[in-house]
Amino acid sequence: MTRRAPATHQAQAEPGLRPPGMADRVLITGATSGIGLALANRLSQRGRLLLTGRSPDEAVRSVLPADAAYARADQSAPEAAVAEIEAALARLGWDGLDLAVLNAGIGFVGDPADEPAARLRATLDANLVAAVLISRALYPRLAFGRGRLVLVGSTARRGAADFAGYAASKAGLHGLARALAEEWRGRVAVKIVHPGPTATAMHAKAGHDPGRFARLFASPETMAMLIERAAGSARPATTVSFARFAWRRAPKPR
Amino acid sequence: MKRALVTGATHGLGRALAALLVERGYAVVAVDRVAGAGRAGVTDLVCDLADRDAVDRMLPGLIEAGPFDLAFFNAGVSATGRFEEIPAAAYRRLLTVNAETPMVMAAALMKAGAVRGGLCFVSSLSHFTGYPGAAAYAASKDALAVYARSVRKPFARRGVSVTLACPGPLKTEHAARHAPDGADETMRLEPAMAARVILDAAISGRRLVVPGRRARLVALAGRLRPQAVTRWMRRLVFERLGRAVW
Repeated sequence: MTRRAPATHQAQAEPGLRPPGMADRVLITGATSGIGLALANRLSQRGRLLLTGRSPDEAVRSVLPADAAYARADQSAPEAAVAEIEAALARLGWDGLDLAVLNAGIGFVGDPADEPAARLRATLDANLVAAVLISRALYPRLAFGRGRLVLVGSTARRGAADFAGYAASKAGLHGLARALAEEWRGRVAVKIVHPGPTATAMHAKAGHDPGRFARLFASPETMAMLIERAAGSARPATTVSFARFAWRRAPKPR
Repeated sequence: MKRALVTGATHGLGRALAALLVERGYAVVAVDRVAGAGRAGVTDLVCDLADRDAVDRMLPGLIEAGPFDLAFFNAGVSATGRFEEIPAAAYRRLLTVNAETPMVMAAALMKAGAVRGGLCFVSSLSHFTGYPGAAAYAASKDALAVYARSVRKPFARRGVSVTLACPGPLKTEHAARHAPDGADETMRLEPAMAARVILDAAISGRRLVVPGRRARLVALAGRLRPQAVTRWMRRLVFERLGRAVW
């Protein structure tokens, strides 16, 4: 892989290159809460961040890392979200991107025989269509910066009776990542990480009560740590299931 | 008289399915962007399955035409070439036709009680491999396959079976249009043959059907060695693709 080439030579040939592990210019979508915010907090220590979410700037500014840039990009309208992200990248003057984490996602719980069309469409738009269009739009910057694209999937991607649309959208991300990892090999490293149950607001937003099992869920901080670790591995797909996080704990932010 | 629904029934596998269903005594409702020229036993419902409003307008009439003993969600489009070179609008269209619309239609038919036998979702052999050169297509087909797996039990509780069909390359215009230059056409299965295998699986409510021995071997290899098979697909497809086609 190109990243393993001697850094001095590459640095001359490719102005956008950074040594491995120094994620310098980082985009994280869906970074205003949950796993995305925990990832932003981790990565803010070693890179410049562009974060996105669907809330207005003033509503989330206080929870985001202090020096991170923020763009409101509501993925329920994927084409508009792409335009917002591209505009924000242009404002920052980033012609290359070292790491993009496409984490934003929504889900709904319910009987699939009673699922309204609007919900299926909203889930697929935010989770899958937006990821396809954002990946496509980021390609020139990722390729220029020899960057890394990380998609956040879900362990539900193998199928889930109560989250059929959500599971489908995450399976779609898996198919996208598998294909792109091979297609972009040597240009952009592509990776999908499938987190297991995590204690975020998503369950409540989705209308799901995990009951006493919630105690066993990973904290967003632990999951962010494991996603960051998995993102650096060479395998195109990693599942961070319960067995992987049961004995690991990341420190809570102060 | 038994009734069946087939989407994308004007060409390829859908056309073969519709013809076979008529032969077996079904009254067929065919939903497609263009009507197939006057086929006995087939009622055409013209609808652009990439157009949300058109789908929503078509659904009440479709429910009215039921209940269906069998429903095949077969319509699909592809986009092949370098991922970054295909226009965003083509991806939007592809994801709507291949993933969103079949899910929306299935949910609407189930809610209305307009299915009394079996549903069959036509995904792709790509569900078992990576598909460099058609990443958005692969994404749409994985999404549809996992939707089918997800709804199998909840729909079974309502007396409706769900079959996932994952055909490999067929001798259709669709395959010829998207295949790389110099691809071996003899590797492709006859649509009539695939239709027979898929129809039998849907009637008996089988969970999964992969028509053709060669396709089953690829599916098995893809399950055992996903990365090796994906690399093979890169050499077989991606590196031989000419211009992008969508």
